[in-house]
Amino acid sequence: MSAPWFTRAVTDESPILSSRVRLARNLRRYPFQQKLNAPNAAAMVQEIQAIGTHFHKMDMQHLSDAEQKVFLEKHIVSPEFLRGKLPRGLMISDDQNLSVMLNEEDHVRIQSVQAGDALPEALLAANQVDDLIEETHEYAFNAEHGYLTACPTNTGTGLRASYMIHLPFLERTDKFKSLLPAITKLGITLRGIYGEGTESMGSIYQISNQTTLGKTEEEIIHALQKTTQQVMEHEAQARDTMLITHRPDQENMIYRAYGVLAYSRKITAKEAMDLLSEIRIGYLYSILDKPKPEKQIYQIMMEIQPGHLQRVAGREMNELERDYARAEYLREIFC
Amino acid sequence: MLCEKCKKNPATVHMQQFVGGSKTEMHLCQECSSIKMDMPISFENIFQGFLTSLQSMTANRPMTSPSAPCARCGMTVEQFKKTGKLGCEACYQAFAKEIEALFKNVQNATRHEGKFPRRMGVDMRVRREADALRKQLKEAVDAENYEDAAHLRDQLRAIQNEAQAETQEAVQ
Ligand SMILES: [Zn+2]
Ligand SMILES: [Zn+2]
Repeated sequence: MSAPWFTRAVTDESPILSSRVRLARNLRRYPFQQKLNAPNAAAMVQEIQAIGTHFHKMDMQHLSDAEQKVFLEKHIVSPEFLRGKLPRGLMISDDQNLSVMLNEEDHVRIQSVQAGDALPEALLAANQVDDLIEETHEYAFNAEHGYLTACPTNTGTGLRASYMIHLPFLERTDKFKSLLPAITKLGITLRGIYGEGTESMGSIYQISNQTTLGKTEEEIIHALQKTTQQVMEHEAQARDTMLITHRPDQENMIYRAYGVLAYSRKITAKEAMDLLSEIRIGYLYSILDKPKPEKQIYQIMMEIQPGHLQRVAGREMNELERDYARAEYLREIFC
Repeated sequence: MLCEKCKKNPATVHMQQFVGGSKTEMHLCQECSSIKMDMPISFENIFQGFLTSLQSMTANRPMTSPSAPCARCGMTVEQFKKTGKLGCEACYQAFAKEIEALFKNVQNATRHEGKFPRRMGVDMRVRREADALRKQLKEAVDAENYEDAAHLRDQLRAIQNEAQAETQEAVQ
């Protein structure tokens, strides 16, 4: 399927929006990032970018602020990558579902995303890029510890597998807080994707493995699937309780959310995200009797972020200007 | 470091809490952390916990001597503890004892079981197979199942010889 993952329809009621795999690798010939100088960093980027022709290749230094932000909001690059001082390169597939960051914390960070619940497929695609690089480049690796990474939290498989998951019901329960330490004990973390600290905008979370040694890639993925399955069962329980016993409240919240999204003149990202989360519930459970927008709700969530708004406007905007632009964008979709 | 709550067990869970824009840290034992459920959800604790365990490593268990700087890239143990990041591949040997302790602490394992580069193919395959056979051999011996044990020992020898032959072939 060669469309970006976020444009694809969620076919069922699954809270899983996407599956993501990241592989961390370093080249044997160069020191890690902490000890890498600029000429070596530039040489390293060029070397890797010379592989394969099916990627768009770019140097981060040549991208505008807005372009960089858009990549950040799409989770193609990390904040750390944008802050980097050394020469950095990016490789992206046509559909943007595969990408490689060069000179992030590690020399090579391969990322692969798929819509919905598809971790094995995401791993397969990441492994293909990994094999391609390995054909011409020698990785830092030893038999005992596996792939050697800059940070020992990634040593071994260098694999971070994650689901992006929408938990609007579970999030409101006490159960949620007690779930977190239990998950942590299994070597898995759950955290809000947007916002800082306790804030989690739009009830969107990321659940991912924490440990990279002592297990195969398949075992890591299997453990994450199992834990996610349990989280989803809790979400379904919470959903049933809310939709059955608090149905009128829920309907009220969803229609109010729709009203604000369709008619407001100025709206913050946080408010819009939370209201879009309500709307997603509304469409998913046929509570909201309004035409469904062509775009996926999650895609809309991404497109109301600052970088996306500025790219559409073609200029820098301050916070207030963005709040107006955001409301206008949402009105066009819902009004 | 001891648990801040019970002051009895070692603190193994490290959490950060954001209250009104300011950050507080908590270091709890497994038990107390599962009691303290009213915490807001903001665990960026993994990396912070990792750094904390890195810093407290020498404080808790004084080692005979910290490792010398990495000969290849010049990274020192002190720098590593501050940033949590290694300077090069050779740092893994230079700081072997610190890293081993860390793996046990944050990874709960020290051995890689996953994918390996194709160039490591023969070595890794033999290594994995030999490990599996040794484990079975030990189980057979423990169970006083000597017939199986003898068979397993032969298999182990066979793959070791085969590996040697392949290596020599590669050299020639
Ligand atoms: Zn305690
Ligand atoms: Zn080094």
